[in-house]
Amino acid sequence: MPDMPHSPSRTLGPVGLYRRMAGASIVAQLRYPGTFIIQAIGNFVTTLLSFFGIWSLFHRFGSIAGWDIGTVAVLYGLVNVAFAVAETLGRGFEVFGGEYVRTGSFDRLLLRPRSTLLLLLGHELRLRPIGRFLQGLFVLVAGLWLAPHVQWSALLVLPWAVAGGAAMFLGVLIGQAALCFITVEGLEVVNVLTYGGVEAGQYPLTMFGRWLRRFITFVLPLAAVCYYPALFCLRHPDPLGLPIWIGALSPSAGFAFLGVMVFAWQRAVAGYVSSGS
Amino acid sequence: MSLRPYLTAFGLQWKIGLRYRIAVVAGLVAQMWFGAVTLMAYASVYHAAPDVQAPLSLRQAMTYTWIQQSLFTLLPLGCLPAIGDAARTGAIVYDLLRPVDMWNWWLSASLARLLGNAVPRAVLLACVAGPLAMLVGLGAWSLAPPASLISAILALVSITLGALLSATIVMGWNILTARTLSPLGSYAVGTPLAVLLSGMLLPLPLYPDWIRPFLLVQPFAGITDIPIRIYLGTPIPGGVATGLGLQIFWLAALTLLGRLWMRQTVNRLEVQGA
Repeated sequence: MPDMPHSPSRTLGPVGLYRRMAGASIVAQLRYPGTFIIQAIGNFVTTLLSFFGIWSLFHRFGSIAGWDIGTVAVLYGLVNVAFAVAETLGRGFEVFGGEYVRTGSFDRLLLRPRSTLLLLLGHELRLRPIGRFLQGLFVLVAGLWLAPHVQWSALLVLPWAVAGGAAMFLGVLIGQAALCFITVEGLEVVNVLTYGGVEAGQYPLTMFGRWLRRFITFVLPLAAVCYYPALFCLRHPDPLGLPIWIGALSPSAGFAFLGVMVFAWQRAVAGYVSSGS
Repeated sequence: MSLRPYLTAFGLQWKIGLRYRIAVVAGLVAQMWFGAVTLMAYASVYHAAPDVQAPLSLRQAMTYTWIQQSLFTLLPLGCLPAIGDAARTGAIVYDLLRPVDMWNWWLSASLARLLGNAVPRAVLLACVAGPLAMLVGLGAWSLAPPASLISAILALVSITLGALLSATIVMGWNILTARTLSPLGSYAVGTPLAVLLSGMLLPLPLYPDWIRPFLLVQPFAGITDIPIRIYLGTPIPGGVATGLGLQIFWLAALTLLGRLWMRQTVNRLEVQGA
């Protein structure tokens, strides 16, 4: 970026470096404003339409075990906002296999005296998911507006739940990138945890069979960052019998998941052998 | 006029689709996951409201979902990738120089690409969701057999028309790509339209009653929704003939419009690159 004078005597800290990389990425994306606007609108419309599908289902069948469309809207909004944040930050990990491992350009990142995680976070600060973010936020606010028992404590738990959810999805993306050291190309199967996670997170946990409930509680802590915080905000008693304050604590599981994935990433980088190019 | 160039274009794209075997397996896992999540959600809403008269029974809704999942790659989600590349690099000019009818040339390639992706996935998923699910005792969640032999044959005819219709819609995205010199716009517009209007998101018969007539007469219903309804034997207003008639109508109308649009586009095409 030409407008930022480069002084070799002063080195940037991690935050400064990330800000500079993010700034460059935003400028690059806005270079084609038409494309950006079409993609953001496409993203907004796609996600809004998917809510129309759920709305139609509940419209036809009414409420299910105490969940009506208003309360499902809270779940839906929460999972979409969290995923949009992770998508914005984690683009470098999403394209890691194709753009870094296969081409061998990961070797260049290793030569730089900075954390590879920081450099990959700075690959791109993606603006496109803003469509999903705004739409999820809109549905979330509408759902809370309609719900009868919402208290002010919800305002504290919601950002915390979004942060935990974003950390969890970012963890999935980092884990996917770590897998690329073995598979070279990215594996589409991981989409089951990202897009599939969003799909599963927007329904109440009680709608699923036991194996799926266990999977999205204990393997991928999706219920901890989405379902339980939503129960807390709505003051909705848990049909599975857990106390309601669980929802205020459980988003921390998202950060624990991220921690495990970062550890896996560091182990994978330590064993990295270049594909050569 | 010889058919050979078009058959060659078809064969080439068909082979490209079959090349990525791991992608087929990866896609299968993803479709099983989405199928399972959707099926559990449907089972839960149907059991919670047993007295609601839905246009599809639970078993039919499940079968609908499985077929829809297995035919995901048959949907016109965006332009043919080769044309997207050609538009960006300027190589599209080679297509203009070929002594072939460009509509048929691109159409046969687009159709082959859709089929090459969809057929292996559909066969695999049908085996897993049908007989295999029965064998492991998940019969209630499995893909139901067709309503009768006649509906099976008619559904086969209908899905053939559906594949042609989908390729014709892909032609629209191809021309859009040639005009805007970028494939991104076609994906931004094509994917949401195809996913919603084909019944991928929610079976078209389950939408609110006031919108259902509109959903049936729009072209995307002809790709997978009408063939699945025929397979299930669920009533279509006016019978199977209306379904097939709608498909043929849209095929003819979109071919006519698409050819006009293509001629106009080719005449004013500015090629990018050197």
